[in-house]
Amino acid sequence: MHIYDGFLSTPVWAAMDVAAVPAVGYMVRRAQREFDESRIPLLGVMGAFVFAAQMINFPVGIGTSGHLVGGALLACTLGPAAAGVVLCAIIAIQALVFQDGGILALGPNLINMAILGVLAGYLPYYLWGRTPWRKAAIFLGGALSVMVSAILALAELLVSGVPMSRSVVGVSLALFLVSALLEGAITLAVVQALEAIQPGFVRRPAAGRSFARGALGLAAVVLAAVGFLFASTAPDGIESLGHTTGMDHVRRLFTTPLAGYQLALSGEPWLRKTAAGLAGIAIVYGACLLIGRGVARRGRA
Amino acid sequence: MHHVVLERWSRGASPLHRRDPRSKFAALLVFLVVLATAHRALPLLAAAFLLLLAATLLWARVPLAGALRRAALVLPFTLLAGAVCWLGGDPARALSVVLKSYLSALAVLTVVSTTPLPLLLRGLELVGAPRFLLMVAQFLYRYLFVISEEAQHMRSAAASRGFARRSGGFRAAAGALAVLFARSYARAAEIHRAMLARAFPGRFHTLGALRFRAADAAFLALAALAPALIRAAIERLA
Repeated sequence: MHIYDGFLSTPVWAAMDVAAVPAVGYMVRRAQREFDESRIPLLGVMGAFVFAAQMINFPVGIGTSGHLVGGALLACTLGPAAAGVVLCAIIAIQALVFQDGGILALGPNLINMAILGVLAGYLPYYLWGRTPWRKAAIFLGGALSVMVSAILALAELLVSGVPMSRSVVGVSLALFLVSALLEGAITLAVVQALEAIQPGFVRRPAAGRSFARGALGLAAVVLAAVGFLFASTAPDGIESLGHTTGMDHVRRLFTTPLAGYQLALSGEPWLRKTAAGLAGIAIVYGACLLIGRGVARRGRA
Repeated sequence: MHHVVLERWSRGASPLHRRDPRSKFAALLVFLVVLATAHRALPLLAAAFLLLLAATLLWARVPLAGALRRAALVLPFTLLAGAVCWLGGDPARALSVVLKSYLSALAVLTVVSTTPLPLLLRGLELVGAPRFLLMVAQFLYRYLFVISEEAQHMRSAAASRGFARRSGGFRAAAGALAVLFARSYARAAEIHRAMLARAFPGRFHTLGALRFRAADAAFLALAALAPALIRAAIERLA
């Protein structure tokens, strides 16, 4: 699910890089509040654990196997903010040391996997972790974390104008679904095994539910759903979206082909792309603002 | 494992190794942006950039063939993406995806193989990246190979007992992963206690402060101008 440099169009990676800065900053500050600096080794070692976990294969059927991705498992054990920070560190190390994922594509990768992926993975556990549906919630969390990041990555590629036929999109969605279900099963199995070893490892979701955190998780899922819409109907979907909403320029914004770049400095297309980027940033800022307000409200209560 | 190679390369003593990590990282960003926003005469530009990077690697006395091979780690993914573009009826984009991702990976590799990772992260911290995150990354890198080795031991232990192929393999793997989790957790607690015993002040101290010298500024100016000028020249010619 890593995106490499050269895959995304300039407005997409630029906007997402800019958007990733406040989002990562917020996540780090929040994790820092929960885990003071003395717990840094824990987060680092758990990151190393996620890397190492890829070596342990889970046999599925005949001859195939999968491995843990880890976002949802970390969110259930360390909490969502710390899980996000650990995943950020993992993605950065992967990009720098293992040539896995690009540097300019770091923003998109962080947003897909470390931020929205983790939040989507934590959401079901947060909502239903204290109810009899707990097992289903953990399974769903694992599945959602993979599905959301995969669909976001796919949508970003489509928005960048990578030509994918309907069948290619369908096949990759089916593959994503399989790996998402596998991740859900692995997450649930590992959580159950952990609880058998020592019940304290798995966190109970906080009793006082903050509306904002739920809202942000929902926003992540909704964003993914939008991505899904793009993916399942692309590229005609974007076109029809533009027609139905009467915003034809939306279509041009999203599907400006390579030719557009030659005019990049001559004014208009450039402005449009910048506007697209700014809109993306505004969405993320709005989300951050929303959580911030929710946190402040909870602090006061 | 791969890391050993990268660690060995990054401890060299060439002029490029001695440059401040901030200047190298800034130059890398300029290179990546120049490459990512280029769309005309791409094959020619890619050839020129490949020569530029190869010259830089030779100057830094990093084994060229090894670096080229290591950057090829991205190829399985990008060739797949290129094939998708090709089948989608956009051969120009297919070419651009493959060329750009390979060259970007090679550029990142050039910087990482001439800068030890702790120094690179320290440079990023001085530029303003959150220290908490960078320290987590540093611990991650430090214990990556320790925990991986533990996982490998568990895997060979399970295999030597003939466990992998049995029908209960899924639950066994989950159990192994849970044990690995618990061990990692316990190890983190030990590390923390050891750090406290040595009066860890909450940040790493480095020997010798990083100083941005005139040579670093000169390098940055040169390294930022070179790709931009090459691109401008090629686009004019083409």
